[in-house]
Amino acid sequence: MLETRNLDKSFGAVHVTRKVSLKLERGERRVILGPNGAGKTTLFNQLVGELTPDSGSVHLAGEDVTALPVAKRARRGLSRSYQKNTLFDGLTVEENLGLAAAVHTGHATRLWSDSLAKPEVREIVQEVAAQVNLMPYIHARVSEISYGVRRQLEVGVALATRPLVLLMDEPTSGVGPEMAKGFHDLLNNLPRDLTLLIIEHDMDLAFDVADTITVLNYGEVVFDGLPEEARGSKLLKEIYLGSWEDA
Amino acid sequence: MAHDLGFWTLQALNALQLSMLLFLLSIGLTVIFGLMHFVNLAHGSLYALGAYFAASLASVGGYWMGFFLAPVAVAGVGVLLYSGLIKRMRKSGPMAQVLVTFGLIFAMLDLTRIFWGDLALAIEVPALLEGRLAFLGVEYPTYRLFIVALGLAILGALAFVLSRTQIGAMIRAGVDNDAMAACLGINVERLFFTVFCVGCALAGLAGAVAAPLLSVTPDMGLQILIPTLIVIVIGGLGSLRGAIAGSLIYGFVQTFGAVLAPQLSSVLIYALLAAVLVIKPVGLFPAKG
Amino acid sequence: MFRQNALRYTALVALAAGALFQAFTAEYFGLEILTEILILAMLVLALDIVAGFGGMVSLCHGALMGVGAYAYGVLSTKAGIAPPVAMAGAIAVTGAAAWVIGAVCSRSQGIYFIMATLAFGQMAYSYVFEAPIFGGDDGLGGISRLDLSFIGVDLNDSRSFALFCLAVLGAVYGAAVLILRSGLGRSLTGVMHNEQRMRALGLTVWRVKADVFGLSGMIAGLAGALAAQHILYISPGLLGWTVSGEALVIVILGGLGTLVGPLVGAAAFVLLKHELSAVTTYWHLVVGVILIAVVMSRTNGIFGWIETHWGVWIERRVADATRKQQPEEVARDA
Repeated sequence: MLETRNLDKSFGAVHVTRKVSLKLERGERRVILGPNGAGKTTLFNQLVGELTPDSGSVHLAGEDVTALPVAKRARRGLSRSYQKNTLFDGLTVEENLGLAAAVHTGHATRLWSDSLAKPEVREIVQEVAAQVNLMPYIHARVSEISYGVRRQLEVGVALATRPLVLLMDEPTSGVGPEMAKGFHDLLNNLPRDLTLLIIEHDMDLAFDVADTITVLNYGEVVFDGLPEEARGSKLLKEIYLGSWEDA
Repeated sequence: MAHDLGFWTLQALNALQLSMLLFLLSIGLTVIFGLMHFVNLAHGSLYALGAYFAASLASVGGYWMGFFLAPVAVAGVGVLLYSGLIKRMRKSGPMAQVLVTFGLIFAMLDLTRIFWGDLALAIEVPALLEGRLAFLGVEYPTYRLFIVALGLAILGALAFVLSRTQIGAMIRAGVDNDAMAACLGINVERLFFTVFCVGCALAGLAGAVAAPLLSVTPDMGLQILIPTLIVIVIGGLGSLRGAIAGSLIYGFVQTFGAVLAPQLSSVLIYALLAAVLVIKPVGLFPAKG
Repeated sequence: MFRQNALRYTALVALAAGALFQAFTAEYFGLEILTEILILAMLVLALDIVAGFGGMVSLCHGALMGVGAYAYGVLSTKAGIAPPVAMAGAIAVTGAAAWVIGAVCSRSQGIYFIMATLAFGQMAYSYVFEAPIFGGDDGLGGISRLDLSFIGVDLNDSRSFALFCLAVLGAVYGAAVLILRSGLGRSLTGVMHNEQRMRALGLTVWRVKADVFGLSGMIAGLAGALAAQHILYISPGLLGWTVSGEALVIVILGGLGTLVGPLVGAAAFVLLKHELSAVTTYWHLVVGVILIAVVMSRTNGIFGWIETHWGVWIERRVADATRKQQPEEVARDA
């Protein structure tokens, strides 16, 4: 469904992505682990087109999308959420979801009808709001909801474009362990045919949702396999957990 | 069209003189923007004020009194503006700043009319700089050569200050990253204040030296504002090299456009600005990577 | 996101009533001022659509209005085209010009957008100033108004022309509301709030910006064609950047992104200008000080101030009234 081949990117002397090759099957849920600065977000930015790789290619549903701009990739079914909330702050939850659903249904550029009043847009809004537990806040403005609810909305907006592949950049970043657990239940309840690629910091939480695990270190894939293998991997412990084992 | 070498020299000098005048105005505006992210549309009004101060002072104590004291007086006005308005507007968005300084343009326009009247004032060129000098085979007004020399001298002085002195290093650090500069223990507030006042003084100086060339009228600030803004946008807001490059580009395009393609000349510079913004939306020499 | 609330309806009704009263009772000079306000109101509505709901702070809307005026003038006098067709032509030409400007400037942000639009406005100004067909500095005269005699209206009469402009303004306001409530308008507001996210959701951002800028330009062009018919003479000064600057000031003084506010602003600005210039030649000073005071007070203009202070109160009163009258209606809405 989503594939990268030898993705390479450097900023000056800093090599942020080294020959990254990933392959996600349809419906696969993969978690990307790695310490800070491992190049996880930079990889995401290249996948969605916010950054252009120096070399290598990105394929979505069998099509080479490396040369396509962000908006075109999104319309082909690649959606993302951000580590830092990237919402429409002055608007309500409903409007946030509606704007995204309108783009997906093609109503976002029409002059003769109100996109947010369209039945198909409203239907998506209701469905997504239910999926990410936003129904109680549907008429609240972003400024009126708590940080944790905003994290849910962050994922909701990405879901409202009805993507084939959803990239989530640390969906639980900044929320407490209780709430993060709830978040993972929510992810587990998403439709099984949706392909998920998730950046996660907390290993234990990652194992809740992951079918497969990829570990990045210094921009390089150092592990690619099943969660059980990852749990036992000595290499992984050294790289990723080294800091607290030393301490 | 056949033009001899003298013609080209003459036009080049004209272009250089216009560039230097614009440089004096734009350097202050661009550094203020680079440091404080503040767009001061009233910068042109400070230039007009400089011309008026120079005219008044010249009628009392001769040209040189105006030349030396007008920038000081304008810097004084800058102090008032900074402590009264600009300091409070620092945290506001660019829209609010544009509008407040737009209001300042309106207010200062009428204030100059109230104090100096609607009639145009004139300043005599000082005796020392009267007449023409033979320069590279052409006769050129001495006063205009003086403006070119003054502009180059200030350019050199600023380049020295910015690259070799501690305050220059602080300004460069501030333009690059003001939060970081504050962390490094630089008193950012005082730095802003100093730079703002120097910028005002340079605008006043530009007004004072331009006054003998033009007639001093209330709307001269409005007339110079658009060219100055074009200069700093072409060069890149906040960029020192950009102010130099932008001034030269504007001066030469405007001067040579007027003699070589008079039908196009007025549209030419705006077309150039539009082209720059399309190709490089942040100007030719953006201050930050 | 555009929201029409009780206060805005109230303000609209009050403005319309005031304009109608003025139109039927005023003498020649009062009617001229009213018409000036109505035409300016169309321009600031056009500007509020892009600036207040799209974050595109344009400093070329005055020039766009001038393009509309000149297009109408040239088409109707020099090309001898019938006024209604010339008006349609003026709207189309201005809309097309605005679309191109919007497309070209769509990548620029903040102060760069302001400067880029300023550049295009000044380009139009310089061109009109220089090109012989436009009459240069002398301007263009001999412009005639629309002929509505087939429905028994003589637009050469000041009162009829003022009423005609009021009707057009009503239509323009309706069109503005429709634009903002359309899919395009909603997406534009999304872009203003978060351009990066809209792009990541799959929206072709530059197209949305250009389309709305073009629509806004059509309104400005219409205002220009009416301005030409109002004063029957046009000069390059119409396109100057200070006209755009004043339009922006009015939008801000009235209340950016409220649609009604700029209408209030236009009325206040023109009345203030005429009242002040009757007592003092220094009316710029007063306007400048008011502008500084309003911006520094951090309210969203006159209308924004009214909304924060009176909006809740009026909203509650209206809600009470409707609940008494139509309980089932309210229940369905909730």
